[in-house]
Amino acid sequence: MQCELLYRPVSTIAQIRLEAGEQVLVEPGAMVGMSTNIDMKTGIPAGASGGMLGKIAGSVGRLLTGESFFQNTFTAQNGPGELLLTHELPGDMVWIDLPPSGLKVQSTAYIACTTHVQMQAELGGYRTFFSGEGLFVINATASLPNQKILLGAFGGIQKMPVDGHLLIDNGHLVAWDGNLSFNLTKASRGWISSFLSREGMVCRFTGQGNVWIQTRNPSEYGTVVGRMLPPRTN
Amino acid sequence: MQYQIRQQPNFSIARVEFDQPGEQLIVEASAMVARDSDLEMKTQMRGGLMGAAKRKLLGGESLFQNTFTATQPGQSLWVAPPAEGDMHVVEMDGATPIMLSSGNYVASGTGVNLDTSFQGLKGFFGQGGFFMLRASGTGPLFMGSFGGIHPVRVGPSGYIVDNFHIVGFTGGLSFSVRRIGGLKTFLGGGEGSVCHFTGDGTVWVATRASTALIDFLHPFRIVQSSN
Repeated sequence: MQCELLYRPVSTIAQIRLEAGEQVLVEPGAMVGMSTNIDMKTGIPAGASGGMLGKIAGSVGRLLTGESFFQNTFTAQNGPGELLLTHELPGDMVWIDLPPSGLKVQSTAYIACTTHVQMQAELGGYRTFFSGEGLFVINATASLPNQKILLGAFGGIQKMPVDGHLLIDNGHLVAWDGNLSFNLTKASRGWISSFLSREGMVCRFTGQGNVWIQTRNPSEYGTVVGRMLPPRTN
Repeated sequence: MQYQIRQQPNFSIARVEFDQPGEQLIVEASAMVARDSDLEMKTQMRGGLMGAAKRKLLGGESLFQNTFTATQPGQSLWVAPPAEGDMHVVEMDGATPIMLSSGNYVASGTGVNLDTSFQGLKGFFGQGGFFMLRASGTGPLFMGSFGGIHPVRVGPSGYIVDNFHIVGFTGGLSFSVRRIGGLKTFLGGGEGSVCHFTGDGTVWVATRASTALIDFLHPFRIVQSSN
């Protein structure tokens, strides 16, 4: 499988080339073009979780993340084929190796992955994590080595190494190494100055690893543009 | 006439330079960005009232178009589409027409004829809400799109494109509109109707769809109280 990112950095699409028989899992709605020998199947990926109960639980988890219930599996049949994948907002993409410790992914950033990646919604403590953003966290782990994941963002994508501590605004988070620990914290010492700085809550990462951020915050953008649009009735 | 596209792919603009007096370019209303002050500009409804009305109603283009005529060699004209995105020029050869999706026409040479085509495009109606503009003849055709414009060479094995991402395609291709994977796929899979192209030609694919941005922004609009 090969992935080439074209029209970077704002109108980026991923051109994925599959060898005969190769598969890729794709977020519904991301496919914009493909060869005619690519077969598309909708369903819960077989590798999602053990047993039927696990599959159902995994799917409910996906539903709760705000991601679609199904993932589409695309398979190249009778020879090589290609897929073109897009993202809903203007911005860049990254095609990265899944780190051994897995990757935490902000739910709307996920576009596609190789077939041996397991995706689970992280609930509980994360519920307040993106409060007001309508976003959750996906825990992506690999059951075999050399797995890849395709992420899309609003704006550019900046990889930031963490060595010790790093504070990041929640709305700019795309993904981070699974071995980083983190907690929500106020942007400033006092609640009032946190509020006045309009930085609200930030995420404090601790450890050694990488964080990928998007250079624009979708929810800020929506708020700024949304209030300039005519009011809606539904 | 010479031209080049600059600032690709997000905020593309076309610079046209006329070689000799009398050369003309037809430009979609409001697409002119800058021009030599001595260029002659004439506003008209091309194809008469009916032709222009049909183009506006069905093709999503303006009722009026501006024709710029060079009065001296070396005069220049800059044109750009309204949305953030790419531009692409095709030098039409007189043999192969080009279908453009609604709103993707920017400018053309005087040898290019524009018409709203119904022939064989029925499948687009009601699915993606597509009406198409048919360009035929000879000369440059400037198209613009939301997002990047990615050309796909369609061979004997064909190619499938999401309806909302079709910028245009060469007239020699045959196509059918369908939902991929059947009903279950449609309900759960997110992929809507696609166009299955076959034959020999080119499809220009938009790397972003304005509909996706609109869907994202809609929930941020203020809700009007019902009283």
